[in-house]
Amino acid sequence: MLEHGAVAPQLFNGLVLGAFYAIVAIGLSLIMNLTGTINMAHGSFMTLAGYLAYAMVSRGTSFWFALLVAPIIALIVAVVIERTLIRRLYGRDPVYSLLLTFGLSLIAEGIYHKVFTANSVPFSPPPALAGTVALGFMNFPAYRLFIVFVLVVVFVLLALFLNYTRFGLRLRAAVQDTEMITALGTNTQVLYAINFGLGILLAGIAGVLASGLLGLNPTSGNTLLMPAFVTVIICGMGSLYGSLVGGLLIGVAQSLMTLFIPPASEVVMYVLMAVVLTIRPRGLFGEEGVFG
Amino acid sequence: MTRGRIATIAVVVLLAFEPVLSPFIHVDVTIASAALLFAIAAMSANLLLGYTGLPPFGNAAFFGLGAYGAALSLKYWHVEFATAAVLGTALAVLGALVLGPFLLRRRGIYFGLLSIAFGQVFYFIAYRFTDVTGGEDGMNFSRPFLLVPSLRLRETAFYYLALVVFVAAILAFEAIVRSPFGKTLIAIKQNELRVRYLGLDSNRFVFVAIVISAAFAGLSGALTGMLNNSVGPLMLDWHQSGDFVLSTILGGSGTIWGPLVGSIIFVVGRDIISSYTQEGWQIILGALFVACVIFFPRGILGTALQLFAAKRHG
Amino acid sequence: MAEASAVPMLEARDVSKSFGGVQACSDVSLTVREGTIHAVIGPNGAGKTTFFNSLSGFYLPERGSVWFAGRDITRAPNWRRIELGMGRTFQTPSIFPELSVRENVALGVRSKRNLAFRIRPASAEPQRKLDARVDELLGFVNLGASAERPVAELSHGAQRLCEIAMSLSTEPRLVLLDEPMAGLAETETDRIMSVIRGLHDSLGLTVLFVEHNMRVVLSLAERITVLDRGRVLAEGSPSEIAANEAVRDAYLGREVLEHV
Repeated sequence: MLEHGAVAPQLFNGLVLGAFYAIVAIGLSLIMNLTGTINMAHGSFMTLAGYLAYAMVSRGTSFWFALLVAPIIALIVAVVIERTLIRRLYGRDPVYSLLLTFGLSLIAEGIYHKVFTANSVPFSPPPALAGTVALGFMNFPAYRLFIVFVLVVVFVLLALFLNYTRFGLRLRAAVQDTEMITALGTNTQVLYAINFGLGILLAGIAGVLASGLLGLNPTSGNTLLMPAFVTVIICGMGSLYGSLVGGLLIGVAQSLMTLFIPPASEVVMYVLMAVVLTIRPRGLFGEEGVFG
Repeated sequence: MTRGRIATIAVVVLLAFEPVLSPFIHVDVTIASAALLFAIAAMSANLLLGYTGLPPFGNAAFFGLGAYGAALSLKYWHVEFATAAVLGTALAVLGALVLGPFLLRRRGIYFGLLSIAFGQVFYFIAYRFTDVTGGEDGMNFSRPFLLVPSLRLRETAFYYLALVVFVAAILAFEAIVRSPFGKTLIAIKQNELRVRYLGLDSNRFVFVAIVISAAFAGLSGALTGMLNNSVGPLMLDWHQSGDFVLSTILGGSGTIWGPLVGSIIFVVGRDIISSYTQEGWQIILGALFVACVIFFPRGILGTALQLFAAKRHG
Repeated sequence: MAEASAVPMLEARDVSKSFGGVQACSDVSLTVREGTIHAVIGPNGAGKTTFFNSLSGFYLPERGSVWFAGRDITRAPNWRRIELGMGRTFQTPSIFPELSVRENVALGVRSKRNLAFRIRPASAEPQRKLDARVDELLGFVNLGASAERPVAELSHGAQRLCEIAMSLSTEPRLVLLDEPMAGLAETETDRIMSVIRGLHDSLGLTVLFVEHNMRVVLSLAERITVLDRGRVLAEGSPSEIAANEAVRDAYLGREVLEHV
C-alpha cells in the first residue's frame, strides 16, 4: 500500500508539470513553425509575466487580476520586440533568430537580476488556493488542481480558437504550409505578430502559475524551457494534441523517475527523445520525411 | 609563399609577443591563453555552422566532456598534462560518436533544437553525480606537469603551449575545409539534396564533421580546464555553446580566422567588463548578440573579406 | 523497332503514393527499355512529379516496387540510386549556387571516383585527370567558357545545362529529367533539346523525362506514357499517342491542338 500511496500523488504532480511543458511547447512550436524562430527568450517571457504578477500582487492587486493581466502585458512586450527586432530575421538562417532571442534572454535575465536580485522572491498562491483538496483516494494541493483547471481551460480555448475562428483557421493553415499564407491573401506580417503574441500569452499564463509552484527568480522560466524543447522534438512541430500528449508524457516520466532513481529524473526525457528519434525521426506526430 | 601564408605567419608572430606586450595592452597572459583556447572551441562551432550549415548549440557538451575527461583522469589516474589533454579529447570524441547518430537525424532549426537538448544531458549528469564530478561545485585540482615532472607550466609557458596547440589546430582546420572532404561539407551547406543526388550519403559526412568538431571542442575544453585548474558544470551548459556560436559569428562564420577574432573580442571584453559589473556584463553580452545579428551578420572578418572582394572586382 | 535487352533499364510496378488522403498516383506501371528516350506526360495534377519522385528516391511509394537494371531499388536511398547508375535533374535547377560551375561538376566526379571523403588534397595526377573530366563534361553542355563563374550568376538555361552536366558527372546509365524545359525561353529550349538528344545519340544513355512542352515531347521521345488523375491512361509511340482517342479527350485535345 505504501508504494501505491507514493505513486499516485507523484503521478498527479507529473501531470501538472506535464501540462506546463505542453502549454509552453505549444507556444514554442507555433512560433517555430510559422517563422522558423527557435525562441530562446521564451523562458524569459515566462519569468517576465511571473515578476509582473508578483509586482502587482505585492502592491495589493488581487492574484486573479494579476493572472489575467500579467500575461497580456508580456504579450504586448513580446509583440513590440517581434515587430522591432525578430521580424528582421525572418527568412534568414535560423541561427540568427536563435542568437537574437538568446541575446534577449541574457538582457532580460540581467535586468531581472538588477531589479529583483538573484534570490527567489516570495510569490505564493492566494489563501483561497492554499491547503489541500480531498479527492477521495488522496489529498491534493488545491493550487495544483487550480493549475490543472486553468491549463485545461486555456487548452480548450486555444483548440476552439484554432479550429473554429476565421483567424485561427488561417493561422493553422499558415503554420502547416508557409506558402499558403500569401495564397490566403492574409497580411502575413499581422499573422506573424499575432502568432508570436499568442505563443507568449501561453508562456505568460504558464509563467504566472509556475511562479507560485516552482519559485520565481531571474532564470526560473528556463527550467520549463528545456523540457518544452524536448516535447517539441518528440512530438513534431505544429501538432496541438501531439504537444499535449508529449508534455504530459515527459512530466509523468520525470515525476515517477524522481520516485525511483532521483538523479535520473532530468535525464529520462533525453532517453525518451533518443528512443523516439530512433524509431520515428520526424517525431511521434510529425510528417513522414521525404529525404529517403 | 602565398599571401595567405605570410598573413598567417604575421598573426602568429604577433601573438607570440603577447606575454611581452601584456603589461602595455593590459591583457593578462592567462586571459590571452583563455582566448586562444576559446578560439579552438569557436573553430569547432564554425566547422558545423560556417562550413556544414548546421547550428551547433550543443558544442559545450563536447567542450565540457573534454574538460571533465581531463579532470577525471587527473583525479583517478594522476596522469600528466599531455595524457590528460588526450584523454579529455578522447572523451569528447566518444560523446560525439554516441550523440552523432541522433543529431544527424535532423537539419536546420531542428538540428539546433536537438543539439541544445542533447547537449544538456551531460550538464545534468555532471550536476547530479556529485560523488564523481563534484556536482554544482565542479572539481578543483593543481595543474599537472607536462610529460616529465620537472616541466611545470607557469602562466607564460602555458600561453606558448596554448599558442602552439592553436596554430596546429588552425592549420589542421584549414587543411580540412580546403580538402575534398571540406568541399563536400560546403556543398552540403548549400544544397544537401543535390549532394545526395550526386551519389553521396550526406549523413556520413555530417557525422564525421560532428566528430571532428567534437575533437576540437574537447581539446579546447581539456586545456581550458587545466588552465583554470578547475572544471564545472557550466562548461557543459548551452549558454557556453551560445558563446562559441556568438564568437564565431562576431568574427565571421565560414572564414578560417573569424573565430579567433571573435574569441579575442569576447574573452578579453568579458574580462574587462565583468571586472566592473557582473549583471552589466550579461546585459552587454546580450546586446552584443542582438547587435551582431542585426547589424553584422557576416561578422568582422566576413565583412572585411566581402569589402576586399568587392574592391578587387572594381 | 529493335529488340530491347531482356532486362529493362527501369521498371515501375504498380507504384502508388498519396498525400494526406489525396491519391497522387495509383498503380502506375512503366517500363523504360535500355537506350530509349521515354517521356511521361499528362495534364496538371496527373501525378507525374509524384511518380517521378518515387522513381528517383525522393518519396517512398506506399505500394508497388521500382526496379533498376533488374535490381529492386524501391527502398534504396536516393544517393544509393545514383551510385547504381541513375542521374536526375529537378524542375528548378538544383545546384550549389555560390560555387563555381567547375566546382559544381567536380563534386560529382569526386563522388564517382571515391574522392569526396578525402581529407588530404588530391595529388597532381588525379587532380589533372579530374580537371580533364570536368572540362569534358562542361564541353558537352557547352559551358566551358563559364567554368570559373558562380552558378548563381548564370542564366536559368545555363543553370539547367550545368545541372545536366552535374547529373552526368556520376556516369549514369539512366538520366531522369524533371520538366527540363520549365521556365525557359524558346531559344534556350532548342539548346537543351540538342543536349538531351546528345545524351542519347552520342553518350548512349537512356533518358526518362517529364515535360509539358508537346513540341519537345513529340520530337524527342521514342515512347510516351500518359498519366491522368494518377493512373496510366495510355502508352505508345508518339504517333500512337497522338492518335489515341482517350488521350485526345483527356489531354491532347485541350493543349496540343492549340499549340502544334
